[in-house]
Amino acid sequence: MPENDETFLDRPVDRRTLIRRGLAFVGMSSAMPPAFLRAAFDDRSAPALALDPSQKLETPRRQVLVVLQIAGGNDGLNTVIPYSDGAYYDARPGLAIAPEETLPLDDRLALHPALEGVQSLYERGDAAIVLGVGYPNPNRSHFASMDVWHTASTDGWSETGWLGRLLDATRYEQESLWRAANVGASAPRPLTSAEPFVPSLSSVPAYVLQTDPRHPADGERRVTNFLRLHAAQAASLAVQAEYGGQLALVSETGLQAYESTVALDAATSGYEARVDYPDTPVARALRTAAELVTSEAGTGIVYVTTGGFDTHSNQAGQHGELLRVVGDAVRAFHDDIAAHGMAREVTTLAWTEFGRRVRENGSDGTDHGTAGPLFLFGRSVRGGLHGEQPAVGDLDGNGDLKYSVDFRSVYASVIAQLFDTDPADVLGGPYEELPLFEAV
Amino acid sequence: MALETERARIQHLLRRAGWGTSRGELDEYFALGLEGTVDRLLDPAAVDDSASDAAIAALIEDDPRERRGALIGTWYLRLLTTRRPLLERMTYFWHDHFATAIHKVSNPAVMQIQNETLRRLALGDFRALLQAITRDPAMMAWLDNRTNVKDAPNENYARELLELHTLGEGVLYTETDIKQAARALTGWVIAGTRRTGGDPEARFVPRRHDGGEKTFLGVTGALDDTDVVGILAERPETAAFIGRKLWRFFAVPEPPAALIERTSEAYFSSDRSIAAMVRTILLSEEMYSDEAYRWRVKSPVELVIGAERALELSAPLRREPQFTQTMGQLLFDPPNPAGWPEGAAWINSNTLLARANYVNEVTRARGRSVFDALALVRCHGATGSAAEVVDFLLDLLVGGDVDAGTREVLIEHLGGEHHFDLEEAAASGALAGTVYLVLTMPLAQLA
Repeated sequence: MPENDETFLDRPVDRRTLIRRGLAFVGMSSAMPPAFLRAAFDDRSAPALALDPSQKLETPRRQVLVVLQIAGGNDGLNTVIPYSDGAYYDARPGLAIAPEETLPLDDRLALHPALEGVQSLYERGDAAIVLGVGYPNPNRSHFASMDVWHTASTDGWSETGWLGRLLDATRYEQESLWRAANVGASAPRPLTSAEPFVPSLSSVPAYVLQTDPRHPADGERRVTNFLRLHAAQAASLAVQAEYGGQLALVSETGLQAYESTVALDAATSGYEARVDYPDTPVARALRTAAELVTSEAGTGIVYVTTGGFDTHSNQAGQHGELLRVVGDAVRAFHDDIAAHGMAREVTTLAWTEFGRRVRENGSDGTDHGTAGPLFLFGRSVRGGLHGEQPAVGDLDGNGDLKYSVDFRSVYASVIAQLFDTDPADVLGGPYEELPLFEAV
Repeated sequence: MALETERARIQHLLRRAGWGTSRGELDEYFALGLEGTVDRLLDPAAVDDSASDAAIAALIEDDPRERRGALIGTWYLRLLTTRRPLLERMTYFWHDHFATAIHKVSNPAVMQIQNETLRRLALGDFRALLQAITRDPAMMAWLDNRTNVKDAPNENYARELLELHTLGEGVLYTETDIKQAARALTGWVIAGTRRTGGDPEARFVPRRHDGGEKTFLGVTGALDDTDVVGILAERPETAAFIGRKLWRFFAVPEPPAALIERTSEAYFSSDRSIAAMVRTILLSEEMYSDEAYRWRVKSPVELVIGAERALELSAPLRREPQFTQTMGQLLFDPPNPAGWPEGAAWINSNTLLARANYVNEVTRARGRSVFDALALVRCHGATGSAAEVVDFLLDLLVGGDVDAGTREVLIEHLGGEHHFDLEEAAASGALAGTVYLVLTMPLAQLA
């Protein structure tokens, strides 16, 4: 190494200069920089620009979508209950909820008694419930059906997810590393896009690269060299295809992970929840979502997952508890968002991969079924019931409910009405839109 | 051709069939040669593992059948200390395949029993394994077969048995086959321990069983669980499904039909022996092809166990389960019946930061460090120059074969060749820092 590089290693250097030098060191300047490096390190598209508050003023119609995946197949019939339908009580001698226990929405339908959180949002006009949501030729495998919802494709496998394609199609905060985020330790399929990087985090405070406190000087050099090694291993053009493309993926993600810690640190400060969130994993995840969307990070889409809804046995108590946890968390989240003055800007979409079999099984549970209700929460939604409740007396050959609204109609409505984008660009074709939002 | 020498091939084999290997272990395997190493790995009974038993006995106070922490800690400690790496590797493979999670099962005793069953049958007859799992109390609780009764069957186990354990999603079967299989699987409950004093076990209750005629995958009769298991274990689709998964686990990302044919042949010519399939893969040319090289993303458990075994820690951190959990994986607690999402799904900004922060935790200085970088390089005689130290670490931790730029950054981190002073590098944190950098670099996430 030339002498001057030693001095550059010995004193703190602007991180962008450092990465540029790191890249020069591995010969990047003569190679074509991959798109991710341009995006992450080019000054013209530097993530810091997204933090300029004046930019927010240019996007007054900013809308945030929080997608809450309820994994395992939530029992739609015991969530939005047809409490005036005798056929429901006949099919579910053990699991049906008595009319007087339910929380009525109108003279036909009622919420599960554990859904007080949802009821209070509904009564304020901040909950839209879409009934009978499903798709043709339903797949009753959790994983195959999730794939259908994740990719918005019923007839084949798609590389990208619907939210990833939405990101690709929208210009909104294009330059922010935090324009979309996942809360959790996975990289959910719906966010897979042509632009590969979507950060995942467990919490804002934990999102840091740690170094050894006993050796602060070496710690600083470690960060420098950590980035140089990632750049070195990402840089070789051969590497892009080598090792099944995995080396490129890991090095790109590693570089952007670090960049996104810096960007997040700059964009977040002093968030305080303005309500008491329940002490549950999904409420903690939504609290993190609130911290992101109220920050200067420019986040437009947040993904949160909760599970445990595969209630094949002993459903009664279990399902109520699961619903209570989700309903209370969602209410706390929207109360917090409202207290931060963003009520009109944040919508939550809560979905599950399928509903459950109409007839209960011999284990006091229910097996995999088909259509079910989907929920949208927020001040911008057109509160009330949408779509048609499927009839318990009119089932398919497998004993399952027939859907009345294709889930892609919901996606199309969100894409068009919330993000002002042509749904066909994201969904590959037109779907009937429902009036799910007040004019924003 | 990346894997030209036998030495490189053995290191590659151990990255796939082992759990990270100390320098001393590597030398033992090098002496056996490639075929000798495969023979050794596939004959775990011939290897004394009592030191691992003793380490577990010394460090885990509670009974793994009574305490969740002891249950989980015992297996992590087994992985850190075993001398039967392939046996544990296959136990781990089946744990993911027949993924059962304590978050629903809750009773550590039945999770420990399942773990012992998986280990006992990991390399045996697949049919015997499938039968044992069908009557395994943890699985019966996890997928509800213990409450599957005639007249109103519970489809949970039947569906996942076909979709995830044998045929693959949508292969060969219909929704009707699922319903018919569910009927055949009725009648089993878990017999409690209090009365018998023994382990919880499956018990057949005739009045709960549907003894009527069923037609499952074209076979008609008064079928029961043994019939369903037998029909599935003899299907070529099952051999292909398991074979494909094993090829991916050990060797290549997209095994072509000809390779899957080869493991199916091994399966049907050996009374469904899993060991025969694994041997076919480990001794194949494709196992050592360019396509097989470094495409697998290490799972969190592979990363953590691999690092700690290679670094010869004086004692385990004892927080390995928490660390792998922040990276997205906790043994005994897979997220759902499909097991952990693999490969690229392990990689996102959250998990990569968690991986780096774990390595920082292992290598950082503290009052009583469990890792001594200076002792490690001295013990293996890699002290003469910065390049010698770096090459030793690269060989140990990623099997060498890195680009010149990477090697140069590491040498520089150690102080460079001209001013190399090993003791000073150790005192300043630069030596531990070099280990940190090797273990956090992108190549170290691949196997």
